[in-house]
Amino acid sequence: MANIIKATDLTLAYNRGKNEIIKNANFSVRKGEFVFITGPSGSGKSTLLKSFYGHLKPAGGSMVVGGLELAGVSTSKLQELRTHMGMVFQDYKLINEWTVAKNVVLPLMIAGYSLDVQQTQAQRLLRHVKLTEYGNKHPFELSGGEQQRVGIARALAKNPMLILADEPTGNLDEYSSNVIWDLMENACGQLETTVVVVTHRIPTIFSLPYRHFIIENKGVYEVH
Amino acid sequence: MKFIKDHVMFILPLVAILLGIEFFLVFDRMTASYEQRLREGYSMLVVSNKPITLQELQSINKNIGQSTKIEKDEILKEISFGQKPEDIKEIISTLPNFYTIKLAKYLDTSELNKLQKDLSANKKIKRVESFGNSYSSNYKLFSFIKFILKVFIVFMSVVSLFLVIKQMEVWGYVHKERMQVMEIFGAPVMLRSGVLFKVAIVDAFIATSIIVSLFLYFRYQLAEIIELDILVNNSQLLFQPIDAFILLLCAIIIVVISVYMVVFSSREKEA
Repeated sequence: MANIIKATDLTLAYNRGKNEIIKNANFSVRKGEFVFITGPSGSGKSTLLKSFYGHLKPAGGSMVVGGLELAGVSTSKLQELRTHMGMVFQDYKLINEWTVAKNVVLPLMIAGYSLDVQQTQAQRLLRHVKLTEYGNKHPFELSGGEQQRVGIARALAKNPMLILADEPTGNLDEYSSNVIWDLMENACGQLETTVVVVTHRIPTIFSLPYRHFIIENKGVYEVH
Repeated sequence: MKFIKDHVMFILPLVAILLGIEFFLVFDRMTASYEQRLREGYSMLVVSNKPITLQELQSINKNIGQSTKIEKDEILKEISFGQKPEDIKEIISTLPNFYTIKLAKYLDTSELNKLQKDLSANKKIKRVESFGNSYSSNYKLFSFIKFILKVFIVFMSVVSLFLVIKQMEVWGYVHKERMQVMEIFGAPVMLRSGVLFKVAIVDAFIATSIIVSLFLYFRYQLAEIIELDILVNNSQLLFQPIDAFILLLCAIIIVVISVYMVVFSSREKEA
C-alpha cells in the first residue's frame, strides 16, 4: 500500500535549528492506517503532528506527505495539500462567530463549493456526528464533546486523504471521549481515511487494528 | 455599539490623512495659481537701439515668453504737447525701442537676475528694468507658509497612519483566531482576510465621502457665506473632481497596506 507519510532522517527543531525536538527519525504511515503517536509530555508529539501539515518544516532530512516533500515547500503547494487533510484539535479551533453549520463546511468553502452543496453537506455531516439540530447554533453554545464532534465533522467535510488529531479527547469526559473514538474509528474503518492521532493514552476500547509510535529521546519508534 | 466604535476609530484617522492630502492638493493649486498670477503680472522693460524680435530675445534667454513693443507714438503722446511736428519726428528718430517682456514660467530671484544679466550683456540692448524685489518677497512669504503647512500635513498624516495601523491591529486581534483556523485548512490570503478587506474598503469609501462632501461644501457654500474674495474668486481651486479619485485611491492604498500588515502579522509562525 502507498505511503501517505514518509519521514527519512527527519529532524524537527525550534529556534532556527538550535532546539532539536525530533532527531533522525525514520517511519512511514500507509494509506488507510490508523496510527497512534504517544509519548511523555514535552516529548514532541504535537510538534511531529504539526510537521505533517507543514506548520513546522523539517530542519533536516525529509518529510513527504501525500507525495509532497515538505522541506522547502511553497506556500501555495502547502495550501493545496492542506485542503486534502482534516485537522482535529484538543481546543477544537472552531470559529465562534460562525454557526456550527458554517464551521463544518469550512473546507468546502475554501475549496469553492457552491452554497447549495455546502448546505447539503452540512446537513449530512451534522447527521453523521448526531448534531442535526445544532446547525444554527454557535460553537460557544455547545458542550466540549459536542464541539469536538463539530470539529470531526469539519475534518471529514471534504473526504480527506488524511486526518490529523492532536489530543482530540484531552478536554473531554469518558462518555464524550468514547463518542469521539467511535467517530474516528468510523472515519478510518468505513471511509478508509488515514488517521494519525497524538494522544497521552490509547483508548482501552478500540476495535480497529492500529499502529503505535512512541516518541522517546528525540526518536520515533514503533511499538509492536 | 462596539461595531460603530471600531469603525469610527478607523475612519477618523483615515479622514485626518485624507484631509491632509486634500489640503496639500489645494495648496499646490493655490501656489500654482499664485505663481501664474505673479508670472503674468511681472514685466521687464527692455530698451534697445535697434528693433529686436521675440526669437532674438528667446535666443538670449529661453525663459522669455512674450515681448510687446511699446509704440514710440504712444510714448510721445504724453510728452509732446505743444511741440512742432518736425520736432516730434526728430525726437522719434532719436528714441530707442521699448519692449515689455513677459516670462514663460515662474522664475526665482536668481533666475531673474540671470535673465537680467543675459539681456544687459547683449550689445543691442541698452537698458533693462525689472521689479524683482516685491515679486521675490511676496513669493518667499507664500512659499514659507506653504512649507509650514506641508510640515504640519506630513506630521498629521504620520500620526494618523499610526492610529490606522493601531486600529487594524485591534481588528487583527479580533479576527486572528479565525484567520489562523482558515490558514490551517489551506485558505489562501484573500479568502481568510476577505472580511478585513471588505470592512476596510467600505471605511475607505466612507472617509473619502466625508472629505469630498466637506470640500464641496467649502467650494459651493462656505466660500460665499464668509464672503472672502480670495475664496469666492478661486473657489474652483478648493475642490476639483480629480481630487475625489486621488483621495479614494490614497484611502484604498492605505487600507490595503494596513490589512496586509495585519494579515501577515497574524500568520502562523514557526517558533
